Amino acid sequence: MLIRADNLAKHYPIMGGFFGNKVAGQVRAVDGVSFVIERGETLALVGESGCGKSTTGRLLTRLIEPTVGTVRFENTEISELGAEELRAVRRRMQLVFQDAGSSFNPRMTVAALIAEPMHLAGASAVDCRARVQELLPLVGLAAEHAERYPHEFSGGQRQRIGIARALALRPDFVVCDEPVSALDVSVQAQVINLLTGLQREFELTYLFISHDLRVVRHVADRVAVMYLGRIVEIADKATLYRSPQHPYTRALLSAVPAHRPGKARARTEVVGEVASARAVPSGCRYHTRCPYVMPVCQTDDPELIDLGGGHRSACHLVRTSH
Amino acid sequence: MVQFLLRQPKMADSPLLSVHDLTVAFDTRRGPFEAVRGVSFDVQPGKTLGVVGESGSGKSVTAMTLMRLLPDSAEVTAGTVHFAGRDLGRLSERDMQAVRGREIAMVFQDPMASLNPIFTIGHQVMESLRLQLGLSRAAAKTRAEEFLALVRIPSPRDILRAYPHELSGGMRQRVMIAIALSCGPKLLIADEPTTALDVTTQAQILELLRDLQGSLHMAVLLITHDLGVIAEFADDVMVMYAGRAVERSPVAALFEKPGHPYTEGLLRSMPPLDDEDPEVLPAIEGNVASPFDLPSGCSFHPRCPYAWDACRLQSPPLARLADNHDAACLRVTC
Repeated sequence: MLIRADNLAKHYPIMGGFFGNKVAGQVRAVDGVSFVIERGETLALVGESGCGKSTTGRLLTRLIEPTVGTVRFENTEISELGAEELRAVRRRMQLVFQDAGSSFNPRMTVAALIAEPMHLAGASAVDCRARVQELLPLVGLAAEHAERYPHEFSGGQRQRIGIARALALRPDFVVCDEPVSALDVSVQAQVINLLTGLQREFELTYLFISHDLRVVRHVADRVAVMYLGRIVEIADKATLYRSPQHPYTRALLSAVPAHRPGKARARTEVVGEVASARAVPSGCRYHTRCPYVMPVCQTDDPELIDLGGGHRSACHLVRTSH
Repeated sequence: MVQFLLRQPKMADSPLLSVHDLTVAFDTRRGPFEAVRGVSFDVQPGKTLGVVGESGSGKSVTAMTLMRLLPDSAEVTAGTVHFAGRDLGRLSERDMQAVRGREIAMVFQDPMASLNPIFTIGHQVMESLRLQLGLSRAAAKTRAEEFLALVRIPSPRDILRAYPHELSGGMRQRVMIAIALSCGPKLLIADEPTTALDVTTQAQILELLRDLQGSLHMAVLLITHDLGVIAEFADDVMVMYAGRAVERSPVAALFEKPGHPYTEGLLRSMPPLDDEDPEVLPAIEGNVASPFDLPSGCSFHPRCPYAWDACRLQSPPLARLADNHDAACLRVTC
């Protein structure tokens, strides 16, 4: 086990009242999420916008503080660390964002951008320069790119710079948050291949956050499906795609457009849209959209039920059939 | 309830929209460039033409040209657009205004950007009905309600009183579709209509569009970067790269036997959902060509696995591959 999340939750207060100083409610962005990521594996978090997948990634790296719950990295409880110790652990966990370009300082050269994390960690200028020259070819950039500025690069190349920057401190764990979603289709496959290649070469562990079920099927070892702040199903990739148990997972899979024309797919078995995290439905939070809804679903919040082989699903139907 | 829209399909073979050799140039601070370069295509009545391409391929500029909604920095330097027998380029602005909305309607990627935040949904749906069809307030309201029901919006009467920010992205897009369809267009231009939506919402909107297209016998020009959306929705496809049409084909033939290396590369690089998954995805190398710095000859040659010397010199025209299937590649021409 490399990283373990236990009952993680992040609630944001909604301020109301005349002066905006009263708490009028809670946005339950992440609402009790537990999972383990083994060393060297890729766990994918999938779900639609607002399901809490990005917030979960930020909680794991403690970029934001959880409302409740703990994160354990190897043998360290990172939720309890002080600033100094946290900095040491954080070097080993890095993030790759959807739109790397927008997070770059436009006045810094590529070399300076890639070396910035090392520089902040106290590395010497000589070491930084050497590491940059080592990283550029690894991410498919040329040595002469080092002295250029981010605006001179295409979206795919900027994402390569972002990946080099994330790898500068030789992390063990990388959170990839929608790393190819903003890229042109013809460039997505290149960046996916780069990420999977780097993982093999450096034994990286990934949390891969994506809404794209095709990409996830290609990169993940295990997949967790999130809905309104909860994991509703988790399984190894083959099981999840072959025999999804939760109605929401089935709806997501049925909604992916076909690969070839003529392969008529069944009509999507989903109605309506994601409910609001401000007003989470009672009972099972998916019951407002579920075609199989039963009376119990409106009152009882189902827990993840173990179906064997690491496959778990939070659905009352699964409970009755097992 | 929307009987007036249910046209009988005509037996005529003539295309509803016929674009010939269209070229659009932009003059920007970075210098002039051509966003669309000699593009020709037809849209048949009641059919869907899918236009696929990446950022900068010229697909959206093509759509804006059809509507004559190009910015001042752009100019149509060559080509013609014929719609239902008329040359749209020669229409007066007044006549063109009558074509927009009434005969050709448009739906965009971001419905929030097209809806006015300070007016209710009802006001905005009724506005086009009153302006375009000259309906009275009461008649427009009834029609608006019918259309919101048609796009499967629950409790349309309440939604008429709602403001855009009170609706979800999927609901806003349904409202945009209702507005677009409310005047009974013969052609709907849908520019990335589901790109900003979640997958489950995307599937619902595409199903809605397909159902409405069938019942209203309307032609659709569907612009998207997503080949999956094309596979499900289009009858014919045009693939664009760097401002040119590099392939035109019926949808089945395109997926079965792509004629252009770019199309082939796009199809191969899509991770499969049910077939064998390759360890390394067959990616297209290199980066999308910049319109300011186009490669010589065929714009795709620096990324093409089949390129040879001649590809650097010649830009091949579309050539016939099979029935209604053309590709602009020297491998076809030679």
